Amino acid sequence: MLAKGFSQPTQRVEKLKRMILDATPYVESERAVLVTESFKETEGLPVILRRAKAVEKIFNQLPITIRDDELVVGAITKNPRSTEICPEFSYDWVEKEFETMGSRIADPFQIPKETAAELHEAFQYWEGKTTSALADSYMSQEAKDAIAAGVFTVGNYFYGGVGHVCVDYGKVMRIGFRGIITEVVEAMEKIDRTDPEYVRKEQFYKSVIISYNAAIRFAHRYAEKARELAATEQNPTRKAELLQIAKNCERVPEYGATNFYEACQAFWFVQMMLQIESSGHSISPGRFDQYMYPFYAADKDITPEFAQELIDCIWIKLNDVNKTRDEISAQAFAGYAVFQNLGVGGQNEEGLDATNDISYMAMEACAHVRLPAPSFSIRVWQGTPDEFLYRACELARLGMGVPAMYNDEVIIPALVNRGVTLRDARNYCIIGCVEPQCPHKTEGWHDAAFFNVAKVLEITLNNGKARGKQLGPVTGEMTSWKSMDDFFAAFKKQMSYFVHYLAEADNCVDIAHRERAPLPFLSALVEDCIGRGKSLQEGGAIYNFTGPQAFGVADTGDSVYAIQKHVFEDKDVTMDQLKEALDANFGYPVSASPAVPAGDASQETELKVYEAVKKILGNASSINLADIQKKISAMDFSESAGDPGKYDHLRRLLDSTPSFGNDDDDVDMIARKCAQIYCFEVEKYRNPRGGQFQAGVYPVSANVLFGKDVAALPDGRLAKHPLADGVSPRSGKDCKGPTAASNSVAKLDHFVASNGTLYNQKFLPSAVAGDNGLKNFASVVRSYFDHKGMHVQFNVIDKETLLAAQKNPENYRDLVVRVAGYSAQFVVLAKEVQDDIINRTAHTF
Amino acid sequence: MPSPIDYSATGTVFNMQRYSIHDGPGIRTIVFLKGCPLSCLWCCNPESQNPKPEVMYQASLCIHCGKCIKACKFGAIDPQNTGLVNHTKCVACGECVNVCPAGALTMKGQRLTVEQVIQELKRDEINYRRSGGGITLSGGEPLLQSGFAVELLKACHAKGWHTAIETTAYASAEAIEKVFPFIDLALLDIKSLNNEIHRKVTGVSNEIILKNARRISEMTQTVVRVPTIPGVNASPEGISAICEFVLTLHQVKTVHLLPYHTYGENKYDLLGREYFMDSNVSLSAEEAEQLKKIVEGYGLNCVIGG
Repeated sequence: MLAKGFSQPTQRVEKLKRMILDATPYVESERAVLVTESFKETEGLPVILRRAKAVEKIFNQLPITIRDDELVVGAITKNPRSTEICPEFSYDWVEKEFETMGSRIADPFQIPKETAAELHEAFQYWEGKTTSALADSYMSQEAKDAIAAGVFTVGNYFYGGVGHVCVDYGKVMRIGFRGIITEVVEAMEKIDRTDPEYVRKEQFYKSVIISYNAAIRFAHRYAEKARELAATEQNPTRKAELLQIAKNCERVPEYGATNFYEACQAFWFVQMMLQIESSGHSISPGRFDQYMYPFYAADKDITPEFAQELIDCIWIKLNDVNKTRDEISAQAFAGYAVFQNLGVGGQNEEGLDATNDISYMAMEACAHVRLPAPSFSIRVWQGTPDEFLYRACELARLGMGVPAMYNDEVIIPALVNRGVTLRDARNYCIIGCVEPQCPHKTEGWHDAAFFNVAKVLEITLNNGKARGKQLGPVTGEMTSWKSMDDFFAAFKKQMSYFVHYLAEADNCVDIAHRERAPLPFLSALVEDCIGRGKSLQEGGAIYNFTGPQAFGVADTGDSVYAIQKHVFEDKDVTMDQLKEALDANFGYPVSASPAVPAGDASQETELKVYEAVKKILGNASSINLADIQKKISAMDFSESAGDPGKYDHLRRLLDSTPSFGNDDDDVDMIARKCAQIYCFEVEKYRNPRGGQFQAGVYPVSANVLFGKDVAALPDGRLAKHPLADGVSPRSGKDCKGPTAASNSVAKLDHFVASNGTLYNQKFLPSAVAGDNGLKNFASVVRSYFDHKGMHVQFNVIDKETLLAAQKNPENYRDLVVRVAGYSAQFVVLAKEVQDDIINRTAHTF
Repeated sequence: MPSPIDYSATGTVFNMQRYSIHDGPGIRTIVFLKGCPLSCLWCCNPESQNPKPEVMYQASLCIHCGKCIKACKFGAIDPQNTGLVNHTKCVACGECVNVCPAGALTMKGQRLTVEQVIQELKRDEINYRRSGGGITLSGGEPLLQSGFAVELLKACHAKGWHTAIETTAYASAEAIEKVFPFIDLALLDIKSLNNEIHRKVTGVSNEIILKNARRISEMTQTVVRVPTIPGVNASPEGISAICEFVLTLHQVKTVHLLPYHTYGENKYDLLGREYFMDSNVSLSAEEAEQLKKIVEGYGLNCVIGG
């Protein structure tokens, strides 16, 4: 038997998992209050010192919480799976949602009245002082207009803190925070006072020392708490555990770890503290098997079973971390996603296979815990043992959407092409959704923006206009184009215009962070901030990038090919006909709701009512329920209310045009070209940290949300419907099976999309059943990677299960699916995202 | 000295299905050749039976533009006909398919050269290599186009691909001798040992089939496949008879039971033909398991579903 099966987790792990599943997420106020008090006290000091003092105050005063049955301790919030607020980045969206965040559709959080009052009080201080306010003041009107029209958004760092980074966990395990402080003191002593940067460097070093001393005390507070609990604990087993926890927290992270258990505790403290310092997302543990293995191998006393339980406990802790976003972003990142990407396998710096025992134990932990975090990745290359890939496929077959699989053979050369050394490139890890970087040497500014390529196409088709307003340059009416060359000239011009403002907007946000929120704790764990005496935000990292990601590539490719084929090759459609049909949305009313699969009329109606209510609420200042009822009953929800008959022929003609995802070179090469136009435009720009822009092609789940901003397209898609996700073909459009679909996707130029590409494939369980299924599954991965695809992830789930989960969510709380660059509980996703997942073609024969 | 490969040889192919994982080892592309001397009542690929290309009409895709009516020179398009195409008049010239903008009319069966087929097969070459897969010829009855089949198989072997064939074994001895030297795995269909039943449900006698089965098993690795049909062979007696026959073949160790399904039913409508099987008849999983036990009782490996 190839398949080995997975063991059952321990009772402790089951209990801890239940705690996460049963948790009601809360917003808590302590951090926001503490950071505000601190900033009031430190007016006038250099900003980096103010940040350090704020971290010090938080570490000194944040409540200490040890949850029942935990072996690895450290909690950001009193309640499990809850969140603190970081008002220094942005806050108004929290304030706006005080009343509604508890009941909103995507990712609700409870905000008790007292918490709201405390937050409201704290927020008063931050008016005009946040990073987002500063970034906003720097941005040009053109950039803001483009954002408002839905061409792109730089929301991630605009609203939140810096994240998307992988720090040097191994270093903390080896030398401890004391070792880091010593390093900083030595660096400080070494600087020549005549160094023109001396003062700035000294402030940075001081701020690091303050932060790390506070961090050590923070861990000691956990030790005290554990002893306190042990003193009153009746159960002798738990008492002994608490005393061991106390010992661990006295040792790490102050000093290096002496055994595997301490290494686990040190890991968790670092992971937690980073997420207290800032609200940044995607604080990614990276190559967990590489830095943990030496401690496991050297630990003569530990049993594999206990080591496994500790790893499982870490997996639980990763799910205890939660972050809230504004309502719209919550839809885009649906599923309480925190994107702590953790990966195993691949090569080491020498180019040799690095798979070890921890790599396999990490997979076992995923099977034990079955929760959305971590975003679990594996690296695959020619030298990856078959056994490892089979095991990964066996895990994927469980249907949780993990692991995501990454191709060393593409990513390493892609990073080398960006100036990363070969050794560093071989050591890459994955951040957030799908973004590769050299760990603890990179400030990648990944997830810098969502860029809607399909929107740029729409604007190109409208001579630079969006919703009737001139947004981009005037590049000619589509009816005036005489050839595809004319189209591409216009498309490139529009792309160039919008990417220019994208770069500007990203750099405004970048500078705002440097000026208002440098992060000393994080910086000291990334090379070469200590050597350079600079925070990460000032360019302290060895590698600096900005990575905005595109989506809508398949829609654009299919649409452009439809124009080429029907208007210029077959000449069965004229530009005038096409323009008229697009302007008329093919005769359909522009409904606010995306398509709902047939057979579920009640939910469809419900959704439309919801959209209608939202529309009315958005327009009216005073709300009259009777009025709403009247307006709803007056609204026509029927999709056929327009005159689809008139354009039906044309739309079906366009819709039946060969599309991306069927291994058809003609259309695939158009999609490749469209994606390249974006990627090559992006890489022209540089960021304030001295690094280059690099494009990615992945959507998180923004393809659904931002689809609402895009009008009808020449591929037959109606206005407001979801766009294709990542580099995947359009939903339901890949009809020739998984090998044809993956061949198409591999034809894109993944090497130039070095900020990551994302390809979702869905298999039904029957297609991967048995040992043969496992072998074929692994072969699909190997073959896609031989064709130089970068990333692939799988949803192995049947449609019936998903539909059933939509109907009876309470019975399917443990159903975890891959959304995009992350996994989430299916039942907490917005209905539209659920529908999108269901509609992605299921490959089976 | 191997004989040169004729890449310009042509055959009538009605489909090439990629990522096939149930018809031979690994990931395979199945090349379906058109034309079959049998007409099994349950056939799930009725479009494969007629050796000539045929026009298929899918009403749900039709946009009623009328282009096909104008294009047809033989008056074979009749909007009053539910199946649109009057197959007695149609000569399958393909004019209507060429003008159909919605893909509602499709030509089942295309004359393709070996070279053209190879170009399509090559697209999954890496998948074959990675999975230990390859090519499977199916039909219809591929041996009916043995001249084309043998050139195609030689070309596949020249590329290093594993070759399999799904066959009824209803073919001339010459065809068998010509084709099987280039087959790595034969998936050999046996429907019934009872000749009376065989004639009734397939339209032909089983004598040639049983004779060829022996020869094929001597020439290449062979697996016997039994489309397991209630009322035909899905009984302990029917399956036992087949197993006893299998034991007389040369080194055949494996029997696949392929439970009857009605997936092909709607295709009969599309072709304007009648479906004679009772669509309510089906084989339950438990019944299939019982038959499997019988096969295993003969010391044979048995796989349900192939």
